Amino acid sequence: MKQTNSQKLNLGLFVIIGTILFIAAVYLIGQRQDMFKKTFTISAFFQNINGLQKGNNVRYAGIDIGTVKGITMINDSTIKIDMNIDEKIIIHIKKDAIATIGSDGLVGNMIVNIVPGKGISEVISNGDIIKSYSKIGTDDILNTLNTSTENAAILTSDLLKITNNITKGKGTIGVLLNDTIMANNLKLSIINLKNASYGASRTIGELNDIVSSVKTNDDTVLGMLLNDSISGNKLKHIVTNLEASSIEIESVLKNINSVVDDFNSSEGTYNYVVKDTTLVNSLKSTLKNINEGTDKFNQNMEALKHNFLTRGYFRKLERQQKKEAENKN
Amino acid sequence: MRKIKAQLDLFLIEIGDLTYFTSRFFKETFKRPFEFKELLNQCYSMGNKSLLLVAITGFIIGLVLTLQTRPTLMEFGAVSWMPSMVSISIVREIGPILTALVCAGRIGSGIGAEIGSMRVTEQIDAMEVSGTNPFKFLVVTRVLAVTLTLPLLVIIGDAVALFGSFLVENVKGNVSFVLYFNQVFNSLEFGDIMPATIKSFFFGLAIGLVGCYKGYYCKKGTAGVGKAANSAVVFTSLLLFIIDFIAVFVTDIFFDL
Repeated sequence: MKQTNSQKLNLGLFVIIGTILFIAAVYLIGQRQDMFKKTFTISAFFQNINGLQKGNNVRYAGIDIGTVKGITMINDSTIKIDMNIDEKIIIHIKKDAIATIGSDGLVGNMIVNIVPGKGISEVISNGDIIKSYSKIGTDDILNTLNTSTENAAILTSDLLKITNNITKGKGTIGVLLNDTIMANNLKLSIINLKNASYGASRTIGELNDIVSSVKTNDDTVLGMLLNDSISGNKLKHIVTNLEASSIEIESVLKNINSVVDDFNSSEGTYNYVVKDTTLVNSLKSTLKNINEGTDKFNQNMEALKHNFLTRGYFRKLERQQKKEAENKN
Repeated sequence: MRKIKAQLDLFLIEIGDLTYFTSRFFKETFKRPFEFKELLNQCYSMGNKSLLLVAITGFIIGLVLTLQTRPTLMEFGAVSWMPSMVSISIVREIGPILTALVCAGRIGSGIGAEIGSMRVTEQIDAMEVSGTNPFKFLVVTRVLAVTLTLPLLVIIGDAVALFGSFLVENVKGNVSFVLYFNQVFNSLEFGDIMPATIKSFFFGLAIGLVGCYKGYYCKKGTAGVGKAANSAVVFTSLLLFIIDFIAVFVTDIFFDL
């Protein structure tokens, strides 16, 4: 078998292509690992390197400038990281640069980031040690997030229970929200209260007038009061009546107080308030009491108007008002 | 029971024979004179002639591998990892083993049939009579030729497969040539390419040795030639996977995969 020239050419081509491809691949891979570049070494100390490995990239302002050359434990809490840095970059890194460990994407490889310092400083040299700063790792963040989401889950489930109870009409708030009769009652009692307060303010105004008239005309009313023993007795009677009604009001207030206390100091918390239906009943009766109380108060006021002592005064007032009305006309 | 024992004996005898054959090959390789012209001739007929086959296989495998893995990686949103994933799997495993299997089919059967027919037609005996060392001229040149050309074929196959993968990425994901190969070489390390290359030398050695052995000790008759070619391919394929396993095992120890 004689070899032809074209055979030799083809074989030569095949061998050369194969060899070139191999050498190119080796060179390209070697270049990435900085085997054919001039490098210098800098170091940094860390407490936790978050899974950094030999050969991981080192970045300065986002550019790959070298690789991690070695990781050694110095003592139980300090790890020394040596980094091979491209010699061309040396003039740009200052001595106050700070090394941090970050990750390349959320699940990517760990990398060392070198961040320029803030001040003006000298250019770094071979074998220098730069400062480091440990960030919170993703793990830690995820751990904290985990506990907070757990708490949130517990909270929302509780809230769900409460809102369910409310919509179903269980407990005080539920009854308050859903019971229309009670709402009407409340409305009525509020109107009554309003009326009562109007009446009260009017009476107070009139009382003021009486007091002022007593002050100014002391020979008429005050004199009468001082001299007349019968009316004095009757006045005493009225005062005792007032006292009795005030005691009644006080007991109502006590009831309200106890309700409020129950609301505040319920040992068990919110649930107790939400689930206690007797409280609703007592609240209802309290409101009824208040209603009755205000009615009685109105009656008292009416009685006061008809009393002979003050009757004269009221008539006088009426006359004055009539006169004023006539004068105006 | 006796039959199984007989078969086991036959198998062990064959292994022992192959070992003798291998040691004889190494002995003869370093003996003068070298049949250099014949070696080049064999390199041409094995290397160059297999090139097209290897290139097409590699190209299609690169293409298909990328197309098939793409949807899965899309699900994770990790399409940008495509070049590194494909390059590592091709360079480490698929390139060498696939090229070796294709060559076992083409070269192994060829050697088995060629030497077998020489044995059957008594050309080997004629060579011995005429004073040429048939082992040296036929076996050593062929085995050396496969051993030397297979790594080259593997490298070219890898390159073509990566190019096929790049085409898919370029069409489907608009990845530029520079970016693709930048990512490929970013993810590759010496620990990937060196063991694969060393491994493919052993693949070549296995293909050549088994092919030559089966042919050299071919049984008489035309049926013997066919059987030699057939068993050469089957035995080589099996041996390739065993060697691959050992190679990965050893690589794991040295390179910390």
